[in-house]
Amino acid sequence: MGLGRLLGAAAPVIVGVFFVAGWEALVRIGQIPVYILPGPILIAQTLVADWGTLWPSLVVTLKITFAALGVATVGGVALALLFASSRWVERALFPYAVILQVTPLVAIAPLLLIYITDVNVALLVCAWIVAFFPVLSNTTLGLRSADPGLLELFRLYGAGPWSTLFLLRLPSALPYFLGGLRIAGGLALIGAVVAEFTAGTGGTASGLAFRILEAGYRLNIPRMFAALFLISGAGIAIFAGLGLVSRLVLGRWHDSAIDRDA
Amino acid sequence: MNDVAGGPVWPVAGGKHPRDNGLAVRIEGARLAYGPLQLFDSLSLALEPGRITCLLGPSGVGKSSLLRLIAGLAPQGADGRVLASDNRPLAGRLAWMDQRDLLLPWASALENVLLGARLRGETPDRERACALLDAVGLGDVIGARPDTLSGGMRSRVALARTLFEDRPVVLMDEPFAGLDAIVRHRLQELAARLLAGRTVLLVTHDPLEALRLGDRILVMSGRPVTIQEIQPPLGGVPRPVDAPDLAEAHARLLAALSLAAGEI
Repeated sequence: MGLGRLLGAAAPVIVGVFFVAGWEALVRIGQIPVYILPGPILIAQTLVADWGTLWPSLVVTLKITFAALGVATVGGVALALLFASSRWVERALFPYAVILQVTPLVAIAPLLLIYITDVNVALLVCAWIVAFFPVLSNTTLGLRSADPGLLELFRLYGAGPWSTLFLLRLPSALPYFLGGLRIAGGLALIGAVVAEFTAGTGGTASGLAFRILEAGYRLNIPRMFAALFLISGAGIAIFAGLGLVSRLVLGRWHDSAIDRDA
Repeated sequence: MNDVAGGPVWPVAGGKHPRDNGLAVRIEGARLAYGPLQLFDSLSLALEPGRITCLLGPSGVGKSSLLRLIAGLAPQGADGRVLASDNRPLAGRLAWMDQRDLLLPWASALENVLLGARLRGETPDRERACALLDAVGLGDVIGARPDTLSGGMRSRVALARTLFEDRPVVLMDEPFAGLDAIVRHRLQELAARLLAGRTVLLVTHDPLEALRLGDRILVMSGRPVTIQEIQPPLGGVPRPVDAPDLAEAHARLLAALSLAAGEI
């Protein structure tokens, strides 16, 4: 058991080490020029050397990501509460939420950048559009999924709509909401990066996507990889962080938070 | 007491008003149909004040539906008058115990017991809740979450919550189903003791449970439903399983139940 779990944890690390080593070997043995494929060691060196440029860009991208995630959370939950309170409102508005969700962001972003003069606001709106749907749909589902037996019990015991909301519907929706939030975190980052790409170098923003474009024009391939590495790293950190939040909040009462192997 | 043209007339025991020793409940003209299926057609049922009435019958005959009708949780299209002996509405004066324990998974045993008070915005009487948890034998796990408790313990928390509501009328829908025989036996004893003096309607599919707990035993059968009363064993509840005439009553009840099962 213990050995099996250790191997389970080590397996992705082993794959990663082999991949990186193979990559470095390929670059060295094949003598591939830096402007075509830099090796991982050079990328790491670039990351350190260009940290002064890359770090502020990461901060810019993360600011937009978290702002979008915050607005998506508040807006998604608020809209979900509205949906849960009235089927009629849900029927009227849900199709538009779906339209917003299924239309590719890259297709809307140029329009938004035209109509919204402040680039930062435009980027925020783009990231929000992709991040808010999972929060909305999951929370709506969660609010509706309160145990019907408990709903009846609440009614019999004289609960009003507000105490039913706070003591039953919202706690029941919490695991669903947190699941949506985890998806939304990754999507907000993707939304922010895609929007930055669309805004391009013409924009005043200087996020990581802008650095990638800029480095691409200058054929500074190692820096492109370094920026890409930072974006992936940020995405993983957001996902892991929100996963941790979910486990802490849900504690032991919800099935999804209980480790079945333990 | 079956004819109520001029309003219900209730038997008054010992010159006291029935309110002093329990609330009588009566349901009249109950009607319920699922599509072409006529479950109830002007069905009537009277619950004696302060007594446990056990309701049995084959699955699908409408036991739970009748219980829900009394509780005011009836489905669309159901009909029927529910009257209390003091001519006031029953709403807000009944407690409900379901087959599932219906505990909030995120709340402790104590918080679950206090739920009703919290829902109504009352100041929760923690002392009484603790005393009730003590009475059901859970005095030392009042802070435990439901998922850390066994099925029997969860049922006892649900029983404590039902009692905490302190309502004159208690409706129970197979409250001890899904528990093993020994745990069920103990809970029946506990429930009978703690529910004394309340008007209880207990739906069960366990004949022995009805024989132990029922001051009255009713069997529902047929479509539309008719209700047949079975003579319970002698003595007050909870009756011991080795009560002298229990075996005989058991046989009577089983005969009635198998007859009822044939009619569905």
